[in-house]
Amino acid sequence: MSTISIVDSSLDSVSISATAPRNHSPYAIRVRHLWHRFGAFDVLRDVTFDVEHGQIFGFIGPNGAGKTTTIRIIATLLEPMAGRVEVDGYDVAVDSESVRAIIGYMPDHAGVYERVTVREYLEFFADAYQIPHLGVVETVMELTDLEKLQDKLVVEMSKGMKQRLQLARVLLHDPKILVLDEPASDLDPRARIEMRDLLLELRALGKTIFLSSHILTELADVCTSVAILERGALVVAGPIAGIAEQLERRRYAMAYGHHAAEDRPAQLPSSPQGQPQQASATGVEAPGGQSAVQPAVTPGGVPVPGSARKRLKLRVLTDANQAAQLLWGGPGILEVEVHASGNLLVGYQGSDALIADLVRHLVTHGVAVVGVEPERSELERIFLEVTQGEVQ
Amino acid sequence: MSAQTGTPSFVPSPPSSRAVDLARTSLRRVRNNPNPIWIRELRQAARLGRTPIILMTITALVALLMTAIGGIMSVAASPSTIGITLFHTFFSLAFFVVTLLGPALAANSVASEREGRTWEAVILTGLPPKTIARGKFLSAFTNISMYIVMLAPVGALSFLFGGVTALEVVVAFFFLFLFALLGVAFGLAISSALASGRTAILLSLLLAFPLTLVAYLGLGVGLSVAANDAWPAVIGGAPVWLPTAYERAPFSLEYITFLVVIPIAGLTVPAWFFYEITVANLTSLTDDRATGLKRWYVVMVPLLTAAIVIPVVTLGNGKPSGSIMVGVSILFSFVVFAFFVFQGDAIGPSRRVLVHWERKKASQLTRFMGPGLVKTISLVFVLGSVGILVLAVAGVAVSLLSPHVTDRQLEAERVVAFVEYAATYLLFLGGFAAWIRTKASTSGVARVLLLVAIFLSAAGPWIVAAIAGVISEGSDEALIVAAPSPFFAFVLVGMLDKAQRGLATIVGVICSSAWALIGLGLFAAASVRAKRIIHEHFAMLSESEKMLAQEDEELQRMDLQQQNLDSAPENALVGQGESGA
Repeated sequence: MSTISIVDSSLDSVSISATAPRNHSPYAIRVRHLWHRFGAFDVLRDVTFDVEHGQIFGFIGPNGAGKTTTIRIIATLLEPMAGRVEVDGYDVAVDSESVRAIIGYMPDHAGVYERVTVREYLEFFADAYQIPHLGVVETVMELTDLEKLQDKLVVEMSKGMKQRLQLARVLLHDPKILVLDEPASDLDPRARIEMRDLLLELRALGKTIFLSSHILTELADVCTSVAILERGALVVAGPIAGIAEQLERRRYAMAYGHHAAEDRPAQLPSSPQGQPQQASATGVEAPGGQSAVQPAVTPGGVPVPGSARKRLKLRVLTDANQAAQLLWGGPGILEVEVHASGNLLVGYQGSDALIADLVRHLVTHGVAVVGVEPERSELERIFLEVTQGEVQ
Repeated sequence: MSAQTGTPSFVPSPPSSRAVDLARTSLRRVRNNPNPIWIRELRQAARLGRTPIILMTITALVALLMTAIGGIMSVAASPSTIGITLFHTFFSLAFFVVTLLGPALAANSVASEREGRTWEAVILTGLPPKTIARGKFLSAFTNISMYIVMLAPVGALSFLFGGVTALEVVVAFFFLFLFALLGVAFGLAISSALASGRTAILLSLLLAFPLTLVAYLGLGVGLSVAANDAWPAVIGGAPVWLPTAYERAPFSLEYITFLVVIPIAGLTVPAWFFYEITVANLTSLTDDRATGLKRWYVVMVPLLTAAIVIPVVTLGNGKPSGSIMVGVSILFSFVVFAFFVFQGDAIGPSRRVLVHWERKKASQLTRFMGPGLVKTISLVFVLGSVGILVLAVAGVAVSLLSPHVTDRQLEAERVVAFVEYAATYLLFLGGFAAWIRTKASTSGVARVLLLVAIFLSAAGPWIVAAIAGVISEGSDEALIVAAPSPFFAFVLVGMLDKAQRGLATIVGVICSSAWALIGLGLFAAASVRAKRIIHEHFAMLSESEKMLAQEDEELQRMDLQQQNLDSAPENALVGQGESGA
């Protein structure tokens, strides 16, 4: 790494070094050993993660976990007390002007000028960014589907439209990286779907999107990688599939008495936040409405940790109780429950191949399976498994 | 180019040194690249329905008042008297309108953006704080100018009656714009420091009201008496005397000093200060917020010193020590004010500032004028002391050389005694200001503690003297108990022609020396502490940098190992192929 050393005579020969800006960093955002403190309270503690170019990166955590502080540091609005944050190779603490030129930051609950029209609002920011093309406002309005509203006063717009306007604002200077803090908060379902589609469109245009939210289903649909923050510390970071795989290996290691440390991903915490749960007796709705108890154990008789069990939602057209009877006692099946809606909830342990076997088994026996989906998304499962639900 | 106004890109003209060309280029730049904040705020203001109603109401009320006064007076007074009365009434009212409305309008600008959470979006566009400050200023100034323009026809009524000339009315309007400029700059400076629009408006009005009243009574009514003494054509006791003086006073050195130099300085000093304060408040904490304000201070001290020295030297005065004491007190107060202002300076330059200096190969002067508490307070003290010393030299010279002075020795001694006490106490205050800032958690706390220190050291000895009951004895010697107070300098000066001068001088010297020693000690302590804080901060950063560099090396090593592992099978295959061949 190229650095420049500084020796300032007025500082009695104190020497520091600053990373010289790099134009082609392999990472869009690099957060390394980031610490921040408000008063005597550590808001961020040794947070480290990387965001690669072209990703939609989800930044997850409960309220008060330190998400907004991290984002404000990335956006150059706060200086980190220790550690380093680089955006496309530029140190946010040193080259804030360069960082501002390549990021588009949309804060949580940001305000808008209300007594201007949509067009006037965007024209102002186009001038403020000193964009040398008069057509940029039209382009951005077209991209964000605001053309029809261009003469509407901002004060008369819905929350969803205002949020869309904010997104249009941050796109004016064609930033490489978008930093969006809770972009879908307070939005109605339609606006959320539209926002999600817009983010996917932006990703297709080559933008890197760093997105914070605590609505996991929203992130699960769009994110390729995530970082989960709890009480100011990073719990886990990486591609969703990679984290899920690592957690799966850890679950098995715990279940069969192996040491998880060998299989732990680089950014997985050394002590798991979700301690192995005690095997619990699970109530299973027996066919005919009788209740049966089936212990959650592995084939070797070892109790299965709660985190290792997965649940599947099956929608069938035929008799659900008949389907439940067909599944009950099968290999890897831990529990079967007939839901009041007529759906089947199947607790199982194993890989996706088991699901395929399970569906084939049902179809072979004349059960019309019309839907198979996990009860919780992968991201929700990860979140629940690695966090303790504590707030600071 | 401006998307808001649709003007094309500004193409600079070929370089030219002609003033006309330069002015034309500047005008084109403003027209083609207008301040974006100014244009946006004008657009917003145009949609605000209440503005024309307020404008109409104020104009109608003032017009009614003026016609009522004119109507009542026309029964008994001559037209010229009515004209003069209307002139003073209108411009007095207009003065209060612009000096109260100006700050209130400007106070809402930055604070309301922070409150409405639009501020961060503006900052992140990369607009420099100076551009933002100018845009906000232009916007508020345009608003207040509309009020003045709306009132203009009513104000012109006075000159129709006679008693005042058209030029006097025009100059009075010109001064209204200048007062509006100051009012807006003042409101903006307050707004830049606050996060709530309502608080900013309230605070600016709370401060503007007494200041406006003092300015009106002191600089208006009060100074008109002195102006009348100097130039009898100027009406004494009339508040709006300054616009009339330009036409009525004969052209002389006094004219230039009192009607040109001092008004320009009186406008420039605060306006520049408010601008720099606004820019500093809009600048990030880790950027250089000190240079602009320090530049202002460096220019202001010599200007202020000159503004005090010139009248003392030019005007024949039998007791120059009195003028010098007033002058030193003004300069002293200015330097103490600067101590309060510069308490907001950073203890040392941030990493960002240091890196920028390094990249730009900044000169030693640039670095000296940058952030750094101890050097800033030292600069404030040294420059202030030099100014006081200049006043002392001028005072002694006038005392010894002026034909108007009768007791030359005594006058010179008075000047020396007063200046010596003032300078040493200033050293104490400077040392304390630097030291307390290195101890306090925030600049606000440091300012409060500095204020407490000034109060205790200035009033404390008098309180002790009062409690002891010595003041009631009526003896001048008893006042020596209060010698540690800086106000004792005035007592000391008064005692120099009395029998107790020996004792008073000794006590005065002891006390002032004590202040100087304490001040030096505090400066040294502040310097040591500031260096330690800076060193610890950068040592921590350095440690962090080392750790990150080690991590980078480790990652590079692992990458290299991985590459070797990846290429190993290929090499093996290549090897097999070669051996096979």
